[in-house]
Amino acid sequence: MDSLLLRSAEELFSRHASSDAVRAIRAGGSPGALWRELQASGFLDALVPETAGGTGLGLAEALPVLMAAGRFAVPLPVGETMLARAVLAEAGQERPEGTILLGEPFDGGARVPASSAAEWVLLSRNAAPLLRRAEEAQRDDRMASPFGDLLRWPGDAGGDGGPEELHAAGAWAELAAMAGAMERILESTVRHAQERVQFGRPVAAFQAVQQQISVMTEDVFAARMAAQLASVPDGPGIAGLNPLRIAAAKLRVGEAAMRVSAIAHAVHGAMGITEEMDLHLLTGRLQAGRMRFGGEAHWGARLGRHFLRAGDAMDPLAFVRAHLGPMEPETTA
Amino acid sequence: MIGALPLSAIPPEDEALRPEIRAFLRDEVGHIPAERRARSWMGFDAAFSRKLAERGWLGLTFPKEYGGAGRGALARYVLVEELLAAGAPVSAHWIADRQSGPLIQRFGTEAQRRFFLPRICRAEAFFCIGMSEPNTGSDLASVTTRAAREEGGWRLNGEKVWTTNAQHSHYMIALVRTSGTPADRQKGLSQVVVDLHAPGVRISPIRDLAGDAHFSAVVFDDVLLPPDALIGEEGSGWMQVNAELAFERSGPERVLSSAVLLDEWSRWLREAGATEAAEALLGRLLAHLAVLRAMSIGVTGRLMAGESPVVEAALVKDLGTEFEQMIPAVVADILARPGLVASGPLMRSLAYTAAMAPSFSLRGGTREILRGMIARGMGLR
Repeated sequence: MDSLLLRSAEELFSRHASSDAVRAIRAGGSPGALWRELQASGFLDALVPETAGGTGLGLAEALPVLMAAGRFAVPLPVGETMLARAVLAEAGQERPEGTILLGEPFDGGARVPASSAAEWVLLSRNAAPLLRRAEEAQRDDRMASPFGDLLRWPGDAGGDGGPEELHAAGAWAELAAMAGAMERILESTVRHAQERVQFGRPVAAFQAVQQQISVMTEDVFAARMAAQLASVPDGPGIAGLNPLRIAAAKLRVGEAAMRVSAIAHAVHGAMGITEEMDLHLLTGRLQAGRMRFGGEAHWGARLGRHFLRAGDAMDPLAFVRAHLGPMEPETTA
Repeated sequence: MIGALPLSAIPPEDEALRPEIRAFLRDEVGHIPAERRARSWMGFDAAFSRKLAERGWLGLTFPKEYGGAGRGALARYVLVEELLAAGAPVSAHWIADRQSGPLIQRFGTEAQRRFFLPRICRAEAFFCIGMSEPNTGSDLASVTTRAAREEGGWRLNGEKVWTTNAQHSHYMIALVRTSGTPADRQKGLSQVVVDLHAPGVRISPIRDLAGDAHFSAVVFDDVLLPPDALIGEEGSGWMQVNAELAFERSGPERVLSSAVLLDEWSRWLREAGATEAAEALLGRLLAHLAVLRAMSIGVTGRLMAGESPVVEAALVKDLGTEFEQMIPAVVADILARPGLVASGPLMRSLAYTAAMAPSFSLRGGTREILRGMIARGMGLR
């Protein structure tokens, strides 16, 4: 099931999210074709229960789809729409067509990725999901940066901060896409090292380069494992998301992203920052992902505080076993 | 490319061992000062090993007919991670239980299994491993210690060094040359078991910077070995050693060498209060621990499935020892605040762990060797 879904996601993205298509969307082109395919695929309702017309998959089953979107640097909120639709279904609200972002609440507004193509932003008000049209919001130009825009809805029609649940869900979507992007970065870095010839031999033949790529491989493996751990559905959140697992994973994936990006660019020489190469699409995705829904320090403090303040005063191993263990999804569902 | 590691869980029947082990450790280890427990799997206490043996916890994975418990590798995983997290002194039986016993079980003759395995399970046979030599470290195939076949057995000459616990052990399994010359590299190497009380064996402990003597130099001067000293096939020593190393590289001991320090620091934070920076750092260490543990269990799961995830094990060891070395470095940083004095046990554990940490990434294969293996796995060499 898992691999079948992954295969069809990979197939969909390789047909409709080629790097040319991704670049066109990033440059402001219409994402319509890609989005229509995603809608038709049923992926977007993967986390919606079957009784509400969805596929009713678990987090671990949805993870490969999110990672695949990351591998292709898909510039659309695949994971966020998936999560938002699950939230709306659970609240018994209607699920509109179109891209939905999870907004990071700020001062009555919401931070969203810069010049995103999203049609909707999911917020929270009085602990209930609140869906707002992106086009009805005003962008605060003073606060705009490549990392995000601040949107405000007229007449105080935005959210009120809302529960940690949405924030944690957004972090899960980001870390999954980042883990996927890192897999692709590793593959293309290995390929580049094998093809690029310097001093009369492929740069992969140099021990210094080999050792760097080995370090990168380790971090890619750790990031993937972190994403798997974050997808064990034993928490109170959407589809069983667990904020402690997400804290550990967002932190570990964020750390990996820094090292993986640095090594990938080093192995590519300066070529990686040229417009024509795909590498910067992927490392840019990592950079953006690190900045959304809390970085390493935020989640580290969240996790550390929980550990220290828990009444049971566990030792570190006991805590990790109790809250962050590799339980198989089937046994915890 | 290297295969992804699955998320594999410890089965309930193996988890069921844990409460009894934890209760035992509370009674037997809880009173030992933290700075001694910080010695982790370098702490030697033969009496403690015998207590484990009485519980049936040595040779947990050996078949019952040889005195073992016939349990799987994940049952042993539970036992070992609890022993290490508590800082139990496991060194006396460690090598016999982790490596020598499984090696004999896999490659030994029936007579060797019947002789050695029950003794290991009773904590009556402690082992050490003779690999490094004065001129042989990472380049293991360059060993020059030689066992020459002769009437009635083998004649052993040469020198091993950095041999953990040689001075306390009953036996050594040594990697030696049985044919050819060092130029033949991996060919002509074999493993032999040496009774360390045999005439001609000379053991000189080597003191380390903490004042302990975990290692020894061992000289063999015309030591006569019986014909059945050979373990496995003559000339297959290299293959056998490598099979052994996959188990050695991915276990909980590659993640938990600094566990006592981490535990002491978190206890102290609970008492003295934590700054946000300390909370964030602690959270970071917990996140690393969780991911490494899942990776280590994933490799163990694949070993149990009969696979040989040698590269994945190398990957876990390199990342795991980096984590083990990071703990004393970052804890020292956060404790170094003017006007702050942390507890004595915490600071003494820190001093010990920080001093010994460089060895974490050397034992069982250096970083550079492991990264070379990963690069080969990735198709770069």
